[in-house]
Amino acid sequence: MKTVDYLIVGVGSAGGVLLQRLARAGFSVVGLEAGPFWNTEKDWVSDEAGSHKLYWEDPRVTGGSDPLAFGANNSGKGVGGGSVHWAAFTPRFHPSDFEVYTRDGLGADWPISYHDIKPYYEQLEREMPVAGPAYFPWGHPHGYSYGPHPMGGVGNALIKGCTAMGIPVSIGGPVAILSGSFGDRPHCIYRGFCIQGCKVGAKASTLITHVPDALASGAEIRPHCMASRIELGSGGRVTGVHYFDRDGESHFQPAKAVIVAAYAIETPRLLLNSGLANSSGTLGRYLMAQAGNVIMGRFDQLVRMYKAPPAHALTEEFYETNPKNDFVRGFAIQTVGPLPVAFAKQMQSAKKAWGWGLRREMMDYNHWAAFGALGEILPWADNRVTLSDETDQFGLRVAHVSFNLHDNDKKLIKAATQKTMEVMHAAGATEVVQEARYAHLVGAARMGEDPATSVVDKFGRTHDVDNLFVCDGSILPTQGSANPGLTIQALAARTADYLICQGERIFSSARRDMSEPRMRRDLAPPATWGKGVPRLT
Amino acid sequence: MSEYNNSDPSLRPVNPETGEPFPPTDQPGYYPGFRTLSQSPYWDAATRNVVTLRVTDPPERRFFTAYEWKFWETVFSHLIPQTDRTPERQIPLIPPLDARLYANRTDGYRYETMPQDREAYKIGIEAINNESAARFGGEFLDLGHWQQEKVLQAIHDGRPEASPEIWKSMSVSRFWELIMHDAMKAYYGHPWAWDEVGFGGPAYPRAYMRLENGEPEPWEVREKRHEWRAPDLSVSDEVEPLHHLHTEATQRAHISPLRKKP
Repeated sequence: MKTVDYLIVGVGSAGGVLLQRLARAGFSVVGLEAGPFWNTEKDWVSDEAGSHKLYWEDPRVTGGSDPLAFGANNSGKGVGGGSVHWAAFTPRFHPSDFEVYTRDGLGADWPISYHDIKPYYEQLEREMPVAGPAYFPWGHPHGYSYGPHPMGGVGNALIKGCTAMGIPVSIGGPVAILSGSFGDRPHCIYRGFCIQGCKVGAKASTLITHVPDALASGAEIRPHCMASRIELGSGGRVTGVHYFDRDGESHFQPAKAVIVAAYAIETPRLLLNSGLANSSGTLGRYLMAQAGNVIMGRFDQLVRMYKAPPAHALTEEFYETNPKNDFVRGFAIQTVGPLPVAFAKQMQSAKKAWGWGLRREMMDYNHWAAFGALGEILPWADNRVTLSDETDQFGLRVAHVSFNLHDNDKKLIKAATQKTMEVMHAAGATEVVQEARYAHLVGAARMGEDPATSVVDKFGRTHDVDNLFVCDGSILPTQGSANPGLTIQALAARTADYLICQGERIFSSARRDMSEPRMRRDLAPPATWGKGVPRLT
Repeated sequence: MSEYNNSDPSLRPVNPETGEPFPPTDQPGYYPGFRTLSQSPYWDAATRNVVTLRVTDPPERRFFTAYEWKFWETVFSHLIPQTDRTPERQIPLIPPLDARLYANRTDGYRYETMPQDREAYKIGIEAINNESAARFGGEFLDLGHWQQEKVLQAIHDGRPEASPEIWKSMSVSRFWELIMHDAMKAYYGHPWAWDEVGFGGPAYPRAYMRLENGEPEPWEVREKRHEWRAPDLSVSDEVEPLHHLHTEATQRAHISPLRKKP
């Protein structure tokens, strides 16, 4: 096979953006994707049970004192990856997120600041684009140039509860769903099946925001191709990736540089299976999920929470460390709109419902509203991805994940849950219950300045191998209580600018130029930049 | 013995006004006459195909033996009882499970305290039969309807008496989660259950237009509530809110308080 400039493993949130930027800049680039290239009209359905193939269903083993659920909860498969089934909440991280250790003495600092990523937030908010209010008051205050969405029943409950308690609330976004048509993409139709894949094309996924321009610019995507091992050459540089195609045939694609963008479980798994990038011993460690407790309130009046996107209103009033608390960092409160199967699972967890009790609770489905308490869990060394002795259909060792809550996490989750329950009561709910769970995944190949305590540098280059990069959620050192999707894509655009500015030097030189790249707005997908006038930036 | 058996009125929900069991109905719930399938001409073809096939062509048995199929069908008839439904409108719960296990398809992860799903559904039969023997001196399928319910209640509560060696290799609470999830996916993934709970169902490409105040679309119907209570001898109508437990592991590992013995 012909040697390509860049081989990207995983065409998801980060991989899609990287592929688009690098191809538009003129590099030869191939993306390996373990799942299919979707035909959204034929492959996707408005149906919970029929959407399982959007999720990573290959085997993983989960354990520790607080084991995480994967699959539909947080792991995508197929071109677009997790951005196909995300709810598309796109808040930015706060400036404080980049210096958690300095401020609070726990967690970690990032090797970059909010200032470094801010232009990429602004950029990606227009590329997706993000709908939201003209003024968003938390973190670094900013506004959205695409209009907010109308409220559904859950959003109205959040407004009512927050207002009664004097808590500011952001309504109609920020969410990467179109409130008005955009180019040839239609606006949202409020059908509520966001996390089953948006057939409408209103919700942003890299499948529709970046992959089309990547292909038009000459990138190649190989679907149904599962990377098995990254090959290390004699010169201490990687030479390409071994992979299995859909028939189980093994191939080797040579490349001048490799970028792993397979998310927080499969990225460390591939690197561990390749025996690479772990001189620090931190590869696989510092895995994070966010607390995602779902607080459900029953109202006398009807809510019908299946209408409107699950994600359409939130408050970040409790995001920052509050010295009055017995824990550091904080949480957000967001709308969620579970469909019947998801809601049944929540009733089973929250009320131990089964049998006639479950039937009875479910008959009241339309009377319930659900809020998510999205809580920051700190990075801990013992929360980690290792290799299990079990193997998958390709004979590759599968990931074993161990996850354990620590004292700060437990106190934060308790406070987040209680506050969210208060808001639900204040909204007028006559009964409030709660299901404990987790949302999102980041960490496990974290970035940092010190090669002894991190896996990659601030541009995603592995400390150990000069032409091996990681670019996805796994490089995050901390996670705040913001949904990570926007930050993952913003980091991908920044890494792409770095690679483009470095040019051919990436392919041959061992010199690491750590200066900030020039921003290449001209390489954004056509007609996504320069539109709209944000009121605050 | 008991699955899908609604000829025995004592197994059916009761009208509190009269004290009499309700007759079986085409459509339980509070949305009389609401049929999501009536809207299928307005759905996209892929969705219509998947949902319609679920109703008309449930997959045939390929993984379970005839006995295993019958066993789990009986268990699931307690996890989600349907004696209030007419036989032809009862939702088949085992076909999608059998198809899933035949394809060896999982949710994408396995708890380290659990065997593989296929194995769990084999061992589970042994555990439930042992529990039946310990409590009522017979195999599960040979017990009376309410004895069967009590056996399952013991597992729901996290308090099985028999098979300590099985439960050492398979978490009671994760096993319960597994079988409940399969039952709920089958029931609440079915359009007849959507009618029951008043869920509007697929709405692409037509859209939902009335987002606020719980207003129905023109083709949805207004709620019409009525009182009902579970069959008098049933123990599955109780719920136990766990919101004082804040983490997933503690909620899941919760063991219900000791119940008074019957």
